[in-house]
Amino acid sequence: MDSVNKTDRSLEKINYVKLLIFLVVFIFIILLLISILILPNIKKYRVARGEFNQAMVHKTRVQSVLNEREKELKKLRLDNWKIFSAFKHDFSEEEFLAFTKQFFNKVSLKEVKQSSYTKEFEIYELNVTSSLKTPIKFYQFLNGLNHYNNIIQADFPIDLKSNGNLIYSSFKIKVYGLTPKKK
Amino acid sequence: MVRYSFIEPRKKPLVSSFSKIWILFISFVSVLLILFGFFLLFKIHSYKTDAIKTKNSRILLEKKINDKDAYMEYLLRQKSLGEEIYTRNTLLKDSIKNLFDLVPDKITLNRVIIKKASLVIYGKTPTKDTFNFLLSAPLKSIFSTSNTMFYLTNSGWYNFVSTNKIASTDGFSE
Repeated sequence: MDSVNKTDRSLEKINYVKLLIFLVVFIFIILLLISILILPNIKKYRVARGEFNQAMVHKTRVQSVLNEREKELKKLRLDNWKIFSAFKHDFSEEEFLAFTKQFFNKVSLKEVKQSSYTKEFEIYELNVTSSLKTPIKFYQFLNGLNHYNNIIQADFPIDLKSNGNLIYSSFKIKVYGLTPKKK
Repeated sequence: MVRYSFIEPRKKPLVSSFSKIWILFISFVSVLLILFGFFLLFKIHSYKTDAIKTKNSRILLEKKINDKDAYMEYLLRQKSLGEEIYTRNTLLKDSIKNLFDLVPDKITLNRVIIKKASLVIYGKTPTKDTFNFLLSAPLKSIFSTSNTMFYLTNSGWYNFVSTNKIASTDGFSE
C-alpha cells in the first residue's frame, strides 16, 4: 500500500474534470433513485397511512358506540334484573303453592292451557281455587304476585263467594315465560 | 529482461484514491436511498394490511352492536311486558278494593263475579232503597249498563243480583 500511496497523488492534486464528472454522476444517480424509488413510494406511503388512520378513526368511533351500548345494556339489566330473572325462572306448581299458602288457606291449581303469546313469550294458564279469611288477603296476594319469582298475572274471571267465615275464590292466573329457544 | 528504467517498476493503481472515495461515497448514498425505498415499501405494505385488519375488526364491532341492539330490544320487550303485567295486577287489586270499599255496611255481599267487561254481584240488602241509593248509584256511574233484580226473603230482607257491564273493550278497571 505504501508504494501505491507514494505514486497516487490524486488526492493532493485534484483533477477538476474528474471531480466535475463524479459530481454529475453523483447527482444523476441520486436524482434517478429519488425519482424512481423514493418519490412515488412516498406518495403511496402517504395514501396508505391516510387510509390506515381513517380506518382507525372509524373503528374507534364504532368501538365507542359499542362501549356505550354495553353500558346501556348493563344498566338496563341492573335496573330490571327482577323482571328478567322472573321471565327466565321456570314455573313450578309446588313453589307457587308454597307462595299462595301465605295468603290462602286451601289452594288447588289446575292447568288450563299452554300457548304462545308472541314468538318470544309463552303463557301457561292455570285456574286457582282457594279459600281465604278476608279480602285483604286477596289484595296482599295480588301485591305479592308482583314480587314473585315468575311473571304472573291474575286474570278474569274472578269469582269470590262468601261461605260462613271464609271466602272461596276462583280465578285464573297467566304465567308468562320465554319461549325455550330464547332463554 | 532488458531494463529501460533506473527505478523499479511500480504498480499503477487502476483506480485512484480520489475515484475510490467518490465511488464509495456514491455507493454508500445509493445504498442508503435504496434501503430507504425498501423501508417505504415495507411501511406501505404494513399500513395496508393494518388498514384491512382494522376494517375487519370494525365490521366485527358493528355486528356486535347490531346483536347488542337486538338483544336490548328483546330485553325492553320483556321489561314492558313485565311492567304491564305488574300494572294489571295492581290495577286489579285496586279495582277489587274499590268495589269492596263501595259496599256500605248495611249491604252484605254473597258472591262477586268479575269478568273482563262485567261485574255480577249477589247480596242481601235490608231495603231496595238502601241498595239503590248506596250501591246502585255508584255502580251506574262506573258501568254503562246496570241491572238489578230483587228477591224478597222470609226475613224481610232482599236478596239481589246486580249485573253490570262495560261497553268499552278496556275492561273492568275501576
